[in-house]
Amino acid sequence: MIKIGLEIHCALSCTKTKLFCGCPNRVVGEPNTITCPACLGLPGSKPRVNAAAIEAGIKIGLALNCKFPKEIFFSRKQYFYNDLPKNFQITQYEIPLGKDGFFETQEKRIGITRIHLEEDPGKIIHAGGDMIKADYTLIDYNRSGVPLCEIVTEPDLRSAQEARIFLEELSRVLEYLEVYDSGREGALRVDTNVSSGSERVEVKNISSFRDVEKAIEYEIKRQAKIIEKGSKVVRETRAWNGSQTVSLREKEAEEEYGYIFEPDLTRTAIDEKAVKSLKKTLPEMAADKVKRYQKEFRLSRETAESITSDLHLARMFETVVKDVEPKLAGSWLAVQVPKTLNYNNLRIKDSGLRPEHLIKLLKLVEHEKITEKTAEETLRKIVLNPQDPENLVKDMAKIFDKKELEDAVNEVLASHPKAIIDFKSGKKEALNFLMGQVMRKTKGRGDSATIRDILKKRL
Amino acid sequence: MGYNISVSEFLESRDIDYGDFVAYVNAETRRLNSKLFFFQSVCELKTVEQNGKLSGLPVSVKDCICTKGIQSSAGSAILEGYKPPFDATVVSAIKNEGSQILGKTNQDEFGFGTFSVNSGYGVPKNPLDPERTCGGSSGGAGGITAAATFPHIALAESTGGSISCPASFCGVVGLTPTYGLVSRYGLIDYANSLDKIGPMGKTVDDVALMLSIIAGYDEMDSTSLPEKQKHYSTEGGIKGMVIGVPKEYFENVDEQVSKSVWNTIKKMESAGASYVEISLPSTKYALSAYYIIATAEASTNLARYCGLRYGLHSELKEGQSFNEYYAKTRSAGFGEEAKRRIILGTFARMSGYRDQYYMKALKVRTLVINEFKKAFKKCDLLAAPTMPITAPKFSDIQKLTPLENYQMDVLTVPPNLAGIPMLSVPCSSGKLPVGMHLMADYLQEERLLKAGKVVEAVK
Repeated sequence: MIKIGLEIHCALSCTKTKLFCGCPNRVVGEPNTITCPACLGLPGSKPRVNAAAIEAGIKIGLALNCKFPKEIFFSRKQYFYNDLPKNFQITQYEIPLGKDGFFETQEKRIGITRIHLEEDPGKIIHAGGDMIKADYTLIDYNRSGVPLCEIVTEPDLRSAQEARIFLEELSRVLEYLEVYDSGREGALRVDTNVSSGSERVEVKNISSFRDVEKAIEYEIKRQAKIIEKGSKVVRETRAWNGSQTVSLREKEAEEEYGYIFEPDLTRTAIDEKAVKSLKKTLPEMAADKVKRYQKEFRLSRETAESITSDLHLARMFETVVKDVEPKLAGSWLAVQVPKTLNYNNLRIKDSGLRPEHLIKLLKLVEHEKITEKTAEETLRKIVLNPQDPENLVKDMAKIFDKKELEDAVNEVLASHPKAIIDFKSGKKEALNFLMGQVMRKTKGRGDSATIRDILKKRL
Repeated sequence: MGYNISVSEFLESRDIDYGDFVAYVNAETRRLNSKLFFFQSVCELKTVEQNGKLSGLPVSVKDCICTKGIQSSAGSAILEGYKPPFDATVVSAIKNEGSQILGKTNQDEFGFGTFSVNSGYGVPKNPLDPERTCGGSSGGAGGITAAATFPHIALAESTGGSISCPASFCGVVGLTPTYGLVSRYGLIDYANSLDKIGPMGKTVDDVALMLSIIAGYDEMDSTSLPEKQKHYSTEGGIKGMVIGVPKEYFENVDEQVSKSVWNTIKKMESAGASYVEISLPSTKYALSAYYIIATAEASTNLARYCGLRYGLHSELKEGQSFNEYYAKTRSAGFGEEAKRRIILGTFARMSGYRDQYYMKALKVRTLVINEFKKAFKKCDLLAAPTMPITAPKFSDIQKLTPLENYQMDVLTVPPNLAGIPMLSVPCSSGKLPVGMHLMADYLQEERLLKAGKVVEAVK
């Protein structure tokens, strides 16, 4: 039986400062400018625990149904690597922040072994190639000390696809908790353990979900071939290079990190009451929203899932639907809004789109002042340059006037005789084609029901 | 022109020509240092006197305490040239009170030693007899405190006895405060759970004055105790105090030393205290536990010194891996004792040995703490010899094995392991000084100072 476990490193983006110092928790900036003696590991510097990071960790633990200890402490994990300023990482070892939890995807329940907090090392840039081919290596310590939450699953996953689905759903939960920003570089880094028999193979440092799926698929096939040949899979650590897994090192036993308690930090009590009150602040998760949208707003499951795939879309929907008919609001937040944003390579939270804009726009549609086509064009302008939609649609009022529309139909029919023949010979698509042509003529402003009526009559 | 006056006389005097004083101190410090090697580097005092509680007072700072822009190398060649970009909290405190940094006092590399012979910057010699040691690891601090012919206080540091030992050998007063009372921010770590910054001075009043300035909570050090800054008084005597005399602390102690201490205890009795002989049976385990915990922590602290970011660099050869480069730098930069402690400490925290050594040592530490706590239920103070011998000759030190060397710390290690405050005060009138070690319960520094003042008076 194939057993797959994941170790996920999630960069917490919700804290103002890094995990053990006062540097801002952001990684974009000139290299090595977002640093201080502590995150550079200068002699004499001392770490201080960021309480906000512990709170974020507890939220994740709660969402993953973990148990919490009475108090936590940090440990030193010592190994030599050039992205690690102190040559040890402050992490948690004996007693993690949370343990024995579970996570339910739509398909199955996956055990969560533990979650813990640790500091991110710096970022290594191999100039002019990969680790082997690069001329030289640069180190940027801006990332050093960024709070990470490591989530370790039980080996409950059975296929590459299951792993990808788990990661997608987990990532959504983390985003709903607002502890993590999927847009940040290296926001979620995954190590995976794949075992087809007795020995497990670790594949390290994969940064996209698609790559996780591919790496696991590759690894399963590789192991199957070995077993087919009658050989044994060796226990080792491998790396995913984009197309295959390659051996980094074989290991006879566990790696040696020589953990000791972090003597610069004191123990931090995890207050049961504080955990309980945090639990009350947890947001409604995507899965619950899907159920509620179906029931409360009569949306289809597909529409509800599409809206809830992004917390910010769901939030906008919940505001818009107070003023706009649910079906209309739902279809716009499931289709037109994400489509327009994707087209402009924008995320909803980075765009200027506000619920007020969408409410006004959809009200115009609802009251038949403009067509949906016009509304979509207007939306495109709004996401790039936020402004009142009413100003934008001044000259774009929907056309009901029969005379005006008849003129448009006549012109279209005159210039498309072939389409008329097609229609009369039974090709129903020809009507849609002609509809489209009339719409175009009216710059998308004609009322489609009226146009259809006129066309049918004339044909 | 002589300035051989006490610190309080200096601070109270209004008719000192400060320019002349500075010229004298600069010349005298250089003269002393050229013969006795008290400093890693001597700082030139400025002629402008700043105001504050330490107005114009020369203060020497142990090399392991970070001073902005002044080499801070903890006695190690691997940190040669390293000038910290920030001041330790204690250094800011003394600067704010108007004192000037006299220089960075020599020490055993990272505090690894009892005789200051393990320094990368020469060996400080005892001003009372240059063939003898100043003690260690704050040997330079002890030496300059004894030798200075001008008012001066030293900032020193103790992990397992590094303030008390040189105080005893040089015939000066050394105060090791309760762990956490004085901020460690900016202290280059030896063993973080044991390191304490404390003052050394010619008199009990001097160390009390310095403690009043450096003690108190600091948010930059997570292990800092929530204590307010206060004035530490030395007045009030010891009438009614019960002094515990632990019998284990007189085993294998030089007869002369033992006699001096007992004489002083008797004199303290005449001054109104009573004494009771007690037993601290876990004393014999304390030394082993100390060396395991201290080296385990030290071996992680020293990992960062690899020639990548600061301090000693070595030549990087074509085709060398970063591991080879680190090994080369570390082999060249660390002294024998540092290497020994890295190996010992790494061994003690490796999986397979960790439970047997590191974890067990932590349990012994708890045992030692509990034993002290119990003793302080019936005693106000404990009194013992600071060191089992008087300052030895360098020629005799050479004959010691590493283990015999470590055994020299047998009396200072238990209170350091427990983190209780201790004061070494000279208590003999013989040729070579003998230190009496006074120990008290957590945060009972004032009790120690009052008793120390009495010892000073009856000596």
